[in-house]
Amino acid sequence: MTTLGLAGLCKTYQGADHRALAGLDLTVESGTLTALLGPSGCGKTTAMKLVAGLLRPDAGDVLLDGRSVLALPPERRGVAMVFQNPLLFPHLTVAGNLGFGLRMRGLSPREIAARVEPMLERVRLDGLGPRRPVDLSGGQQQRAALARALILQPKVLLLDEPLSNLDPGLRDEMRCLIRGLQRETGITTLIVTHDQAEAVAIADRIALMLDGRLAQSGAPEDLYRRPATAEVAQFFGGVNFLPGRVAGGQFHATFGRLALAEAGLDREATVTIRPEAIRLGEGPNTLTGRVQEIAFLGTQSRVTLDLMATTLEALVAPDVAESLTVGQEIAVNLPAKALWVLPQP
Amino acid sequence: MTDRRRIFLLLAPALMVIGGLFLTGLGLTLLRSFRYMPALGLTDPDLAAYVAVLTRPDFLASLGFSLWIAAASTLIAAMLALASALLLRQSFPGRAVISFLVQLNLTIPHIVGAIGVLYLVSQSGVFARLARAAGMIAAPSDFPILTNDPDGIGIILLYVWKELPFITLILLSSLQTLGEDHEAVARSLGASRWQAVAHVLLPMISPALLSASALVFAFSFGAYEVPLILGANAPKALAVLAWQAQTEPDLVARPEAMAMAVITALIGLGLLLATLRSLRHRGLHAR
Repeated sequence: MTTLGLAGLCKTYQGADHRALAGLDLTVESGTLTALLGPSGCGKTTAMKLVAGLLRPDAGDVLLDGRSVLALPPERRGVAMVFQNPLLFPHLTVAGNLGFGLRMRGLSPREIAARVEPMLERVRLDGLGPRRPVDLSGGQQQRAALARALILQPKVLLLDEPLSNLDPGLRDEMRCLIRGLQRETGITTLIVTHDQAEAVAIADRIALMLDGRLAQSGAPEDLYRRPATAEVAQFFGGVNFLPGRVAGGQFHATFGRLALAEAGLDREATVTIRPEAIRLGEGPNTLTGRVQEIAFLGTQSRVTLDLMATTLEALVAPDVAESLTVGQEIAVNLPAKALWVLPQP
Repeated sequence: MTDRRRIFLLLAPALMVIGGLFLTGLGLTLLRSFRYMPALGLTDPDLAAYVAVLTRPDFLASLGFSLWIAAASTLIAAMLALASALLLRQSFPGRAVISFLVQLNLTIPHIVGAIGVLYLVSQSGVFARLARAAGMIAAPSDFPILTNDPDGIGIILLYVWKELPFITLILLSSLQTLGEDHEAVARSLGASRWQAVAHVLLPMISPALLSASALVFAFSFGAYEVPLILGANAPKALAVLAWQAQTEPDLVARPEAMAMAVITALIGLGLLLATLRSLRHRGLHAR
């Protein structure tokens, strides 16, 4: 069980006009599965490669259990990485691929075989050991790539968008497999993804990266319900940002006053509320709004509301939306527990 | 017009050249090698020319010599090309200039290169004169015999110099197609830099290396002009020996020349088939 620490990691690629990483700080607790989440190009894969030793940082440090591993080459860090593409070695059989790392460590063919067979079973590839990678489906190849890394029992496992090239059905299957194997082995795992739903579904903790820095890390629910900034909220689909003032445990805005569950000190503030937390109807924190627009989204409908020149978006069940008409005045309930005052920058 | 017919029509000019020139020439060569030359009154095909050729000591010496220069030059060129490609795929200051210099001699004809080798490394060449001027040897004749020598050193030198960029280019293209991800995976799985090259990179570019080497071997095995300029009187390269037999005033010697040409072609064909079989056996294809 190993704790992974990234301390002030900076990296600028040769010829690039901006930094891929601009001082990334992150701690991945021992035995947890942490998702490194962020939009494309925010530096997630760069961070992974720096941890694996495949790139050198311009500044900062990579720590395993508090000890710097920057001076160690990739093969001596005890960090295994699974890439977005399976990248199985085409000249080796599936079993040969799984045993590759063990062979590099100098294990005998008998020792390798003794570890490869059970691992093939664990990733449901039993009987496919003698095949060539090209004979496997995409999902099987990705499972083989995962097994090839896990068989080494690394201190830290890095997964770089391992689900992104899979079909939706296979993706769910692979996600369950990763989660199950990680719980079973307890290997400290960092998974890169740009898909917030995937991160929420798989990870114990999420570290959100924006513009080469850590924007917020914590339990998935924290980032979802208690974002540190408007950018974090927006990344998780937040669209409602209400300007006003917190005073005496209440939020005062142009459209009225709202009770807050967690108010903090009196100050100018922005309050956010998730669209799906808004209720249409009476309640303890109710205002009057006018329906501006109704959009059917399938399992939900989006209702755009005007609260005295402040726009709010609510996600409601389609049957609720069907009973509304554009221009209608309705009661809009904003539960105090769902209102989150964004921290001061 | 169906797709099939359109493709056939588009390929027709190339097929006519191949069929009309190459296959007709090959057919005539085969017939003559079996001593079927009605103009000379030879109308009963037999294997006499092959028997005569395969029992000629000078032919066997030439066969061994051609195999030696082809194998040595291919092996040396392939090893140097591999090292060059592994270096040139990395970015470093001056890489573009070095890449240009490596590729420059692709444009120089073999015959020009052969004359250049004569000027440089023969006993009357520049290096011999420089060595004498530097007091390293007493006379140019003390300089090692590197051209027109029975070991074919000059020929091998020329082929290595000429074929190295060809193999390097093919390997560089293969390496660029592969990218660096497989190596990165190998490193993260515990392979050292050299283990990653030996256990992952080399097997993955071996189809390209093998194909390029087979082409170089086949070319240097059957080439004529370089051994003619840089080779010794004996043993002669196969192509030189065959051409001499072909230009004999006695027309009866022609079937032996044709038999030599056929044997040379068969060895080249055998090598090509062996290469393809090896690639198929390993489940790999040239990239």
